[in-house]
Amino acid sequence: MMDVFSNIWLGLTVAVTLKNLAYCLIGSFLGTVVGVLPGIGPVTTVAMLMPISFTLEPTSALIMLAGIYYGAQYGGSTTAILINIPGEASSVVTSLDGHQMARQGRAGPALGIAALGSFFAGTVATFVIAFGAPPLAKLALQFGPAEYFSLMLCGLVAAVVLARGSIIKAIAMVLLGLVFGLSGSDVNSGVRRFTYGFQGLADGIEFVALSMAIYGVAEVIVNLEKKVDENASTAPVGSVWPSWADIRYCIPTVLRGTALGSVLGVLPGGGALLASFSAYTLEKKVAKAPRNFGHGDIRGVAAPESANNAGAQTSFIPMLTLGIPSNPTMALMIGALMVHGITPGPRVMTDRPELFWGIVASMWIGNLLLVVLNLPMVGIWVRLLRTPYRLMFPAIVGFCCIGAYTVNANVTDIVVMAFITLFGYICLKLDCEPAPLILGFVLGPLMEENLRRGLLISRGDPMIFLNTPISLGFLIAAALLLLVVAAPAIRRKREEALVE
Amino acid sequence: MTIARALRAPLSALVLLGLSSAASLVVTSAAQAQAFPNKPVRLVLPYSPGGIIDYVGRTMAQALTGALGQPVVAENRPGAGGITGTDSVARSPADGYTLVLMDPAIVINPTLQPSMPYDLFKQLKTVSIISSSPEVVVVAPELPIKSISDLIAYGKANPGKLNFASAGIGTTPHLAGELFQQRTGVVATHIPYKSIGQSYPDMMSNKVQFAFSSIAGALPFTTDNRVRVIATTGKTRSPVYPDAPTVDEAGLKGFEVDLWLGIFAPAATPAEAMDKLNGAMQTVLKDPEVLKALAKVGVEPRGTTSAEGEAFLKAEFGKWKKVIEDGNIKEN
Repeated sequence: MMDVFSNIWLGLTVAVTLKNLAYCLIGSFLGTVVGVLPGIGPVTTVAMLMPISFTLEPTSALIMLAGIYYGAQYGGSTTAILINIPGEASSVVTSLDGHQMARQGRAGPALGIAALGSFFAGTVATFVIAFGAPPLAKLALQFGPAEYFSLMLCGLVAAVVLARGSIIKAIAMVLLGLVFGLSGSDVNSGVRRFTYGFQGLADGIEFVALSMAIYGVAEVIVNLEKKVDENASTAPVGSVWPSWADIRYCIPTVLRGTALGSVLGVLPGGGALLASFSAYTLEKKVAKAPRNFGHGDIRGVAAPESANNAGAQTSFIPMLTLGIPSNPTMALMIGALMVHGITPGPRVMTDRPELFWGIVASMWIGNLLLVVLNLPMVGIWVRLLRTPYRLMFPAIVGFCCIGAYTVNANVTDIVVMAFITLFGYICLKLDCEPAPLILGFVLGPLMEENLRRGLLISRGDPMIFLNTPISLGFLIAAALLLLVVAAPAIRRKREEALVE
Repeated sequence: MTIARALRAPLSALVLLGLSSAASLVVTSAAQAQAFPNKPVRLVLPYSPGGIIDYVGRTMAQALTGALGQPVVAENRPGAGGITGTDSVARSPADGYTLVLMDPAIVINPTLQPSMPYDLFKQLKTVSIISSSPEVVVVAPELPIKSISDLIAYGKANPGKLNFASAGIGTTPHLAGELFQQRTGVVATHIPYKSIGQSYPDMMSNKVQFAFSSIAGALPFTTDNRVRVIATTGKTRSPVYPDAPTVDEAGLKGFEVDLWLGIFAPAATPAEAMDKLNGAMQTVLKDPEVLKALAKVGVEPRGTTSAEGEAFLKAEFGKWKKVIEDGNIKEN
């Protein structure tokens, strides 16, 4: 215990030097900027700044690159809330309630709670890393193909059970998401499925194109249909800050989001994206008055924002302690470390304590800087909402196109976005919630990959999924969730709860 | 120079290079009339950021900027196992301003893919094969396998028990494993991952028994022996693993797998530009700073001439074509 505190102290002495503070500020500021801009994500930014970081000391370099990464999680939520364009994949869910709040004139509280929730989650995640890195790293190692498959299956079942409205529609949307996810090259055989001869579809449908189509462009079309007066988007701005009541209302939500995000972030392949979706879904189930979700419930912002920030930070655990990247940004950071002659792995903590603890401490400082940077900006951002629709809508569509294109510099992605917009519009008209579709799309390919890998390793024996306790546990959980839906008594209760 | 052209050149440069090149535009128009290169050169990296191509590509772009006196801008164009980015260069104007950095996938793809959007030997020309890098044979630590002959013996004694990991169908780790099976008669099940790095947790827990991995992928796990290195696949031992014998030394004569990298240009690129580019590459590959950067990820400099590179490319094409056909590997 004392060790941890002396280690954190060591980290603080490294992170608070003027030079490292400056790099931390540069990183988190840059991160916020690229987070706000759709399309340019942390991966691109970190890749572009790599050569510069080679000339820095490794600790300063990592502090800056890490700042970009978690700064982007902050920035991504700003556009999600204000103009319904998630700047980052992990803020897709934030736009659900966040943008509704903005339309009701509560953009300020939404942005405020996003910043505060993120700060709290970031603080907790810093301590999770400090105390829990070694045991958590061991947990991640327990996850083989079987465990991943069962975890994802459980996640998909949960998406159905917890969806708003008709269960049939939710199942249909998950299945459609799975179908969309099938497109592209199959990892096991290399065969191109459902690419219809288009080179641009060889790697499947791009997530950014899909999410921007459904949440960005399709939403614009639906809004165009409604008779809107010119200034509808400037509904009374109201208070810029979340009230004390708002904050108190969100406390349990933020706690749950942080806990879930911290755990999911550790799993390779999980990270911020899975964390934000799961936290939102969980919140809808356990929170009181769940019918408000999707209509501008402040908890619908607090949950994913705290979860994605916690997840973004704890995803450093497998990178720093095992050398396993849980996402592309982490893969880049491993590259950056290796260039400095440091091989990520269990020995970093003992061989280079000043590096390890310096980064951990800088994360907390970076989060503090982000709140200081972002909260005063809220007022400015909110004024952006005064932009009339006739300017705002073309801008949204334009940004979506730029965003979809820049991910892979691939024109096909824009065409794909246009087609999915049509589809997304139909879904919105039919009152089908897109969240289960997105989850099916994200989890489906991972689930298939791990299912087939598990079966390859077991030479076709399905018992591999029941033989390990972790995998079995997830499967039982999934079965129980299904039972919940099937049991008539519970179903009736669920419907009552939703009609309420 | 017509007005239209004067407008188009900066405009397309702006679109292609993004804001980073805005500063160089001033230089561009002033130097338009001078010899190659008189505007920024684009180096396409056909994979996502984070891999060895990305790292070597950005290092080279920075060094070449100095050697050519014009910005060389690295640009990721990932997709379809490198085909998308390579294709974009094959279709670019043959003026030396668009280049692509590729690995052995450039010669493997034409054999493996049922249809290719471009013809490698007709539409692209080697500027230089810039580097070599061996693969490293790693095994699960709990197995009693300490050498290549142990691995062969274990595979023969335990038929149906061996799995080997790769970075996907038709990648060098996959074909190296295939070549190993063809040479030794050992049978192992191929378990593809999206990248070789993802396979290490499964190797540490012995779900996967061995892999032919890139050095960059292996380093985080071999420095503290979480997986065991038994050999490297180069002609000579790797400076990164001086104690590990080459597979050839260990008894499989002539077994060599090279994760080389080459820079290619559209085939009709004029000789003047090719020579200038090749010369610049030869120069930067002697720069101690560049060599230091490459050595950190186990990449050894090479710097062939264009003709040497073309001959090497054909040899590599033939070598992997045979492995693919003998192993009856198909994307189906």
